[in-house]
Amino acid sequence: MQLNISRAILLSTEFSNGKNSKPVKMAGILDVPKPRITCSLLSQYISRPVCFVGRVEKVHPTGKTFTVADGEGKIATVELNDPLEEELSGIVEVIGMVSNKGVLMANTYNLLREDKGIPFDLELYTEALKVIHDFPQHYPFEVAASG
Amino acid sequence: MLNSSKKSKVQQKSSPGLKGGYNESSTVGGYTQSPGGFASPAPSQGGEKKGRTRASQIIPCTVSQLMSASQADEAFKVGDVEVSQVTIVGIIRSTDKSMTNIQYKVDDMTGAPMDVKQWVDTEDPGVDSTVLPPGTYVKVSGNLRSFQNHRSVVAFGVRPLEDMNEITSHMLEVVQAHMALGKPLTMSSAGGGGTGSDVTPISRPAMESRGGSYEGANDMVNNGLSANQNQVLSLIRGCHDAKGISIQELKQRLGVMSMNVIKQAVEFLSNEGHIFSTIDEDHYKSTDNDE
Repeated sequence: MQLNISRAILLSTEFSNGKNSKPVKMAGILDVPKPRITCSLLSQYISRPVCFVGRVEKVHPTGKTFTVADGEGKIATVELNDPLEEELSGIVEVIGMVSNKGVLMANTYNLLREDKGIPFDLELYTEALKVIHDFPQHYPFEVAASG
Repeated sequence: MLNSSKKSKVQQKSSPGLKGGYNESSTVGGYTQSPGGFASPAPSQGGEKKGRTRASQIIPCTVSQLMSASQADEAFKVGDVEVSQVTIVGIIRSTDKSMTNIQYKVDDMTGAPMDVKQWVDTEDPGVDSTVLPPGTYVKVSGNLRSFQNHRSVVAFGVRPLEDMNEITSHMLEVVQAHMALGKPLTMSSAGGGGTGSDVTPISRPAMESRGGSYEGANDMVNNGLSANQNQVLSLIRGCHDAKGISIQELKQRLGVMSMNVIKQAVEFLSNEGHIFSTIDEDHYKSTDNDE
């Protein structure tokens, strides 16, 4: 039944960027900073919430896990709570916690639309990540107490 | 032995000369698009500063910056940058439509989703009042507001992104704008040939100094030191105390910069010979105070 409801919502949206924006399991993770990272930073963010953008590589037949490639070509594994309902491809943005094995335990994900004929430049995004990590004072992933 | 900095972006040699700036032009009072190497075909919308006066600047920000901004009366400040009209780019997490307005929660990953309120003009047929669904990436243009300690953005524009490269461009624009507009903590240029002016790290930026501070930002990336290193060096230079300035005081003055980043900068500057320790490993003075 839940499948039908979510399909109905998907069909009714005209501006939906992602084919599948899964509902939040843990409301908490969306209410905290989720630093944007690449594979090389996974080990530094173990047990922390992150946002990972990459190109879908391979989807496991069970649909419960898939691999993504970041802009540097490195591969990360993503595990889902619920198996995928449809085939996933293209650029995906995953939010989740990094397990102590470096696997991204996905809480929610969405596809970055490329249907307007404008491809997403993943390599450029990765370069931008370097910039924002180099200048945390200008792009903070934390909320300081407001004065 | 040269310091092996952990960040690959940092140049090893701090020689003067043109090295990797983020801006070549120094238009006073405006921040310019970074030339070259920027492949996104999407025009930057709502990113241009219109003038020097506060009211007409629209500044790209992150939600975290808006939430952390200090407030004096009706004026907000992110660091040294006054913000009023802002743009944010994020994904809609929830929507709530009423007769007169639409409320969104927009998440840009820097913190909890920001409340965005868009007034619906029921009489104007030209205004699109279709509610954008959750999962839509949008660019919000509006004014930062605080009501009963609750921050929100009152939007005059909420536009769904069609080119997702705008996510990337917004990230870069945020860094560029805040770097260019924020008063660096010194007036003198690092790396020789300094103006010899007094360093006043905590003074209020005057209108005129904005032009000067922009030049400073340009200088900052021309001497081979990163922005962080330059800021740390400037503070150390400004200290005329014989025993130098302590790392703790650097942390106090540098607010958002983490202790680790400060320590890394100090280590690098020390190895390069810009500073030396005085009474202990926590106190430093500059090797070339130009006063």
